Amino acid sequence: MEITIGDTLFTLHPSGAVYWKDQNMLLIADVHLGKISHFRKFGSAIPQKAINTNFERLNKLVSYFNPDKICFLGDLFHSTLNNEWGLFEVWVKNQSSAIILIKGNHDIISPEKFSELGIQMERELLLNQFLLTHHPEIREGVFNISGHIHPGIKVRGVGRQSLSVPCFHKQLNQLTLPAFGAFTGKFLITPKIGDAIYATAADEVIKI
Amino acid sequence: MNKNELFHIANNWFESQSWKPFPFQKQVWTAFLQGKNGLLNAPTGSGKTYALWIPIVLDYIKSNPDYKSQPKKGVLAIWVTPLRALSVEIKNSAERFVEEIGVPLTVGIRTGDTSQKERAAQNRSLPNLLITTPESLQLILASKAYDKKLSSLVSVVTDEWHELLGSKRGVQMELALSRIKSIAPKLRIWGISATIGNLDQAREVLLGPGSNAYKNSVLIKAKINKKITVKSIIPKKMEIFPWRGHLGLHLLEEVIPIINNSKTTLLFTNTRSQCEIWFQKILEKHPELAGEMAMHHGSINKETRIWVENAIRDATLKAVVCTSSLDLGVDFAPVETIIQIGGPKGVARFLQRAGRSGHQPGKESVIYFLPTHAMELIEASALQKAVESQKVEDRIPYLNSYDVLVQYLTTLAVSDGFYPEEIYEEVITTFCYQTLTSDQFGWILNFITLGSQSLHAYDEFQKVEIEVDGRFKINNKGVAMRHRLQIGTIVSDAVLTVKFLKGGYIGSIEEWFISKLKPGDVFTFAGRNLELFRVKNMLVLVKKSKQRSSIVPSWMGGRMSLSSEMSQLLREELYAVAELLNNSIESNLYRPDLLTKISTKTLSRELRSLLPVFKRQVKESMVPAHNQFLIETFKTREGYHNVFYPFEGRFVHEAMGSLLAYRISLLTPITFSIAFNDYGFELLSDQQLDMQQVLDNDLLSPQFLKSDLEKSLNATEMARRKFRDIAVIAGLVFTGYPNKLIKSKHLQSSSQLLFSVFKDYEPENLLLQQAYTETFEHQLEEGRLQIALDRISSQTIVWKACNKPTPFSFPIITDRLREKLSSEKLADRIKRMLSNLEKR
Repeated sequence: MEITIGDTLFTLHPSGAVYWKDQNMLLIADVHLGKISHFRKFGSAIPQKAINTNFERLNKLVSYFNPDKICFLGDLFHSTLNNEWGLFEVWVKNQSSAIILIKGNHDIISPEKFSELGIQMERELLLNQFLLTHHPEIREGVFNISGHIHPGIKVRGVGRQSLSVPCFHKQLNQLTLPAFGAFTGKFLITPKIGDAIYATAADEVIKI
Repeated sequence: MNKNELFHIANNWFESQSWKPFPFQKQVWTAFLQGKNGLLNAPTGSGKTYALWIPIVLDYIKSNPDYKSQPKKGVLAIWVTPLRALSVEIKNSAERFVEEIGVPLTVGIRTGDTSQKERAAQNRSLPNLLITTPESLQLILASKAYDKKLSSLVSVVTDEWHELLGSKRGVQMELALSRIKSIAPKLRIWGISATIGNLDQAREVLLGPGSNAYKNSVLIKAKINKKITVKSIIPKKMEIFPWRGHLGLHLLEEVIPIINNSKTTLLFTNTRSQCEIWFQKILEKHPELAGEMAMHHGSINKETRIWVENAIRDATLKAVVCTSSLDLGVDFAPVETIIQIGGPKGVARFLQRAGRSGHQPGKESVIYFLPTHAMELIEASALQKAVESQKVEDRIPYLNSYDVLVQYLTTLAVSDGFYPEEIYEEVITTFCYQTLTSDQFGWILNFITLGSQSLHAYDEFQKVEIEVDGRFKINNKGVAMRHRLQIGTIVSDAVLTVKFLKGGYIGSIEEWFISKLKPGDVFTFAGRNLELFRVKNMLVLVKKSKQRSSIVPSWMGGRMSLSSEMSQLLREELYAVAELLNNSIESNLYRPDLLTKISTKTLSRELRSLLPVFKRQVKESMVPAHNQFLIETFKTREGYHNVFYPFEGRFVHEAMGSLLAYRISLLTPITFSIAFNDYGFELLSDQQLDMQQVLDNDLLSPQFLKSDLEKSLNATEMARRKFRDIAVIAGLVFTGYPNKLIKSKHLQSSSQLLFSVFKDYEPENLLLQQAYTETFEHQLEEGRLQIALDRISSQTIVWKACNKPTPFSFPIITDRLREKLSSEKLADRIKRMLSNLEKR
């Protein structure tokens, strides 16, 4: 689904990523790589096969949009260094795009490790009146695109049906992305008047 | 000393108390001294502690003649009780006997409440009699050199075995006993159980099917007859009766004279929120009872609960509003009257509660039944019959609980480690794991050592290690500590501690309730109106509030289902009504006004009072007779209602609802939400359902039940919810350090999420499969469902297209807790929900 903010065109992808056409840039929030390995290291036997899913999803996305730049909006890694870092290194080396990481609260791995891989690490990024951050924030004169929240929406229907799905949450001067990672939860939001909600449903994005 | 001399000691002591031993007590003494194992069937307050503690002491005297000069060290017996609250009572009784006959034996308690210091002392040397819980017994198995400590055991007594039997705590006991059997050669295993339908099986589960212990065992029944009288409180005017009041508060004034005319009254409610509300409302209307009334439920802090229990014993309270938290345990002699608010749903529970009153010999137990909605009066009528027949429910033991086995093996790995061959031989002697194959056992070993079924490069999974000599052991201190904190099979919601701003602990409350409140909101808890100040870490800080209106927390898990015994009785009551009404209608087909002149002499008082309701039901629809199965359809603003009445209890209805919804959804893309209560279930949809098509296709057929049910489950969330407990028990989810403000960093995850990951990536996982099995066998009661469908297929289906909701349907269609099932694509559903929203 395509939306315009100001006069800039963005594509909302069902995976939870946003493609910024003018910049040829992919925005991805809250991948939480290494989360499964972290749990396993502490004795919780989460299926290992799930580890590959994140990389498969990333590969699919990159080959579809073929962007110049990939910007992760924080929480790229879930916790401290573990063996999933090795898989990440391999993945980064196979990329032709430049990679930027906005530091999130979970990103506690040393910035040097990232710069060794040629990843540019930032607190925030201001591009053409668009402010890219991890935590959502309101700043005058700019439009903020962020992650962190893992927004989800509960839809109700006749017959007292309800279901909840991850969603993009657009407010007056903010857009919050759903979490991209396979093993991440969601936080149900209550939209305010004037907000726009774009739900991700399997292979479609639907405006609510 | 021979048997007679030993008995002489006991008899003398009884005489000194001016008591006389009951025959069942003597039978147990004899059997125990003969070296037998067994199960004693005796109610609370019948002297069961002395039935078993006395022979343990006598046996000690016999084998240690010089006990006075050389008291033996080491544990002699372990007494397992499901409730910590009971342990003090047992300790007092046990100490009284040994002190008065002059045998120097020590008695100690070890539960979750035992102080660090005392525990450390016990670790050095256990008392001669240790009173403990199933969980604390597991913790002993998690301590170093437990086998040496327990080798001196002569007996393990499991009290209130009926309570443990149908739960995973029972499985924990089976496993613990299988281990202790191997390390204590002189062991005699005994259980004490209240009356349940399957007492013989209870003994088999405790001792192990086909085991030597079972072959050398007895079942002893205490024959104590007691008269129980049931009195229903019937509202004076049937019209003002709410169809679904759930609280029964409109009958509050009826309760007051009952309280006033009796020394102490216990008011049993079915849920904690109902308990809170009743307590508040009685005080509001009758402030003169303040100080003489108290409340008791599982979320109130321990000190208050103990205070209430003591006050009941000392007869200083007029009334106590309580939940099942007072079902079990200590004997309250001053209690004269019981009031049951709302249907008790099971015969055994009702009899047990009734037995709470009138403990003096020869006295009858009186129990009042207060219905919370009209239909419950049918239950009351059925209960009258139940009391006569005394046909009580079975407790169904668990089979193949892989989660408990994972926990148990990890426990053994924490202490001294284990060798799989040896433990496997023990495990398969238990009832729960009698069919466990070596492949399945191998799967579990891989699960705790590799975290999967094959070794992967770069994997960092860390739990149990295999040492060079083949011993399975945990050497990592962090893993060991996290496991010790997690031992147990009772999984509760995340609970937060409620405290006053100025200090002072009030109780604990489920996180999801608090998460719905904002600071400044007022809610009722532990009988007080409290204002939420703020939530910080795991603490809820509150202030007292003078505001009168407030929100009452509703606790999950309060919903019980009618047992099959109860639902059978209930149907019989209804059939009696139907017969009467239908006969009258047939003979007066053209004179409906004559309905008023029906002779109702054959009906019970409760059913007679319900006649206005039944007449309305006949006017709008019908009352089904024994050879009929009723379906009603009608339309309201909410959509198209399709209501079915099997009268089988809510769990069976939940299953039947999903099954039928699934089968219908195969005919046409449609989405249902499913509601159910103990009498029937409803499929509500925004599209009209072709009921004739449903009947023509025989969708209520018992054929292909299992496979259809499995498929219908995929669309529902039942197994997901079951998986939550399994994930915690098997140690997949770490619930955090107790009372620590710092949450376990980066290890939080919802079991919902885990379920999805397992379902997508490891569908063959035994724990995941267990979630489905448990859903089928324990939640859906597949066996009962089969029987119910067989019954329906022998009945004539009567479909009534009604103009408006009927009296029978009302309690169901107003239910807010729903399941859903859909055969539509996710995107289509969202789109249609949206288009409907826009139309409004």
